[in-house]
Amino acid sequence: MTRAAAGFELRGETRPLGALIADVWASRQLVAILARKEFFVRYRRASFGLLWAVGLPVIQAGVLAVVFTHVIRIHATTNYATFVFAGILPWTFFSSTISSATTSIVDGQDLATKIYFPRAIFPLVVVGSNLYGFVPSIAVLYLFALGFGSHLGVNVLLIVPAVVVMIALSTSFSLMVAPLHVYFRDVRYVMTAAIMVWFYATPVIYPLARAHGWLHRIVEINPATGMVELFRAASAGADHGWPVALAWTIGWTLAFSVGAALLHRRFDRVFVDLL
Amino acid sequence: MITEPTTPVVQLRDVGKRYVKYEDSPMLVSGALRFRAGHRRTKLWAIRGVNLAVGRGETVGVVGRNGSGKSTLLRMLAGVTAPTEGIVTVRGRVAPLISVGVGFHAELTGRENVYVNGTVLGMSRQQIDDRFDEIVAFSEIADFIDTPVKFYSSGMFVRLGFAVAVAADPEVLLVDEVLAVGDLAFQIKCFNRMQEMQAAGTTIVVVSHNLNAIRNLCPRVLVVHDGEPRFEGPTDDAISVYHELLEQRRSTTAGGEPGGHVPGPVEITGFDLFGADGQPTAHVASGDKVTFRIRARFREAVASPYFSFVLANEAGVPVYVDSTFLLGSRGVGAGEERTCHVQVPLAVTTGSYSARGGVRYGPEQEEQIGSQSVLFYVAGRELVKGIADLGATFEVS
Repeated sequence: MTRAAAGFELRGETRPLGALIADVWASRQLVAILARKEFFVRYRRASFGLLWAVGLPVIQAGVLAVVFTHVIRIHATTNYATFVFAGILPWTFFSSTISSATTSIVDGQDLATKIYFPRAIFPLVVVGSNLYGFVPSIAVLYLFALGFGSHLGVNVLLIVPAVVVMIALSTSFSLMVAPLHVYFRDVRYVMTAAIMVWFYATPVIYPLARAHGWLHRIVEINPATGMVELFRAASAGADHGWPVALAWTIGWTLAFSVGAALLHRRFDRVFVDLL
Repeated sequence: MITEPTTPVVQLRDVGKRYVKYEDSPMLVSGALRFRAGHRRTKLWAIRGVNLAVGRGETVGVVGRNGSGKSTLLRMLAGVTAPTEGIVTVRGRVAPLISVGVGFHAELTGRENVYVNGTVLGMSRQQIDDRFDEIVAFSEIADFIDTPVKFYSSGMFVRLGFAVAVAADPEVLLVDEVLAVGDLAFQIKCFNRMQEMQAAGTTIVVVSHNLNAIRNLCPRVLVVHDGEPRFEGPTDDAISVYHELLEQRRSTTAGGEPGGHVPGPVEITGFDLFGADGQPTAHVASGDKVTFRIRARFREAVASPYFSFVLANEAGVPVYVDSTFLLGSRGVGAGEERTCHVQVPLAVTTGSYSARGGVRYGPEQEEQIGSQSVLFYVAGRELVKGIADLGATFEVS
């Protein structure tokens, strides 16, 4: 039996956290199948199908590489194309995940109002479906790195923790904002604006070392910086300050997780009242 | 007949649900500033004080009009929302048969949707594999199973949805208006399937205002009205109570409707239904000779008034419209009263009906005044469908 085999007892609106987490874990098969559905439905009608999932970040990185090496000159430690792609990859995953996850519970209201499963499933499905497109992009990243002559050694192994950190950060943040959007429907616009600013506050197109003074402080404590730098460390090479940024990222991830847990514990069973 | 089970599968104890209604939807900024209590929001009990115990294999109906709280009740049973007070207990897996096909994705094929929907309903991949052929067979769409469901007819869509939901083989099945869809043959198939599930020990809760479905499936019914449980007991009694409640509501709101107190030369002072036994009723059997009594008071003298009568079914379709026009009529003096008895053999099928009496008058009979509708329920012969029960005899040779 996959989930809720024993039925349920509802008294009051708050859900015990342990039971909620157990329920989410028991629903992993549901997350997997919904994520698969989301991903394949997205590209089903497109002639090039899944190529788009990999193609779009490649095109974006290509454009940025041309603009920033030939128009505005930024000197990175390694080849700029690889450098940018290593940043674009986790950033695109993170930003597209959090922006779709924000509205995920509200978007899922057809299902949500009919059948119970933990509402955390909705943002988790977004994370899962974006992972489908992400995995082949890692191969593309290393093709870039090899093609443009980056020095790859044991640092390649860092790609594993890098992906883990990316998933953890995106998941915890998504789980935290999705409930907020149920209550405050302007959160999606706040997120759209925030992502725009956030992109420039993250060293995606410039190296971490290029930010100075107070700007450096901001970029360093930015939750997304550690994630991006870890991807650099695993491919194009990161700036010296990356362990500090990574520590911040992990700290933020824990904080977002606590926020997410508190929100879901309180509102999991009553989101529907506002859908 | 109904045995009190020792451990109910579905149990509601003093359950109430209160919604917070914001007058304007909460905004991020103003919402954050809104710590003061009672600011621009009203709390509203959707339903309160519900106690219900449903045992294994039992089927219970819940009736109530829109806004009575029955959907909230259903949501709590599905576990989708938590009660504000009281305890909701469901022992076993719940599958809602609510708007079947929810979660179907138009771009996906029937086969893919079966897997997605089955998982949503709590089946494992293995279970879906095992029951796949059964699902396809039941839905009767084997030829289209690999076609995207956007090409399905609404009937096919519903059939597949129902097939998946029943294949999930839940301990508790929640049914919401589902029997109103699909063609007749499939409805009978669903109905039979639900009876099999009943026999196999599935607990079923049917929430509907289709009294036909309720009557066919449930020996016991809970009536909810204005957010309160009003009656719980045998179906026929419950349906009578339900109709009485609808009546009460109409008479209390009568003043607001046009025709109620608009001063005109004619006033309808009463419109009532009496069963075959001559007693007022809201629940009759098909074929009963019932009487509707229209009473009118004439404030002014009216030359040649006539009485009219309209009977409409649940869908609002007029089943029978007639009047005393061809009988001719004598003038009525100011201050006089008239009563018209309309005797009707109700040869109609099972369902809710509404009737209205009226008076037409004026030089060209262009003026008219109608009564409030009377709502009542007709219990028809089993399996007779359609608008009228013409009572055909069949001879097979």
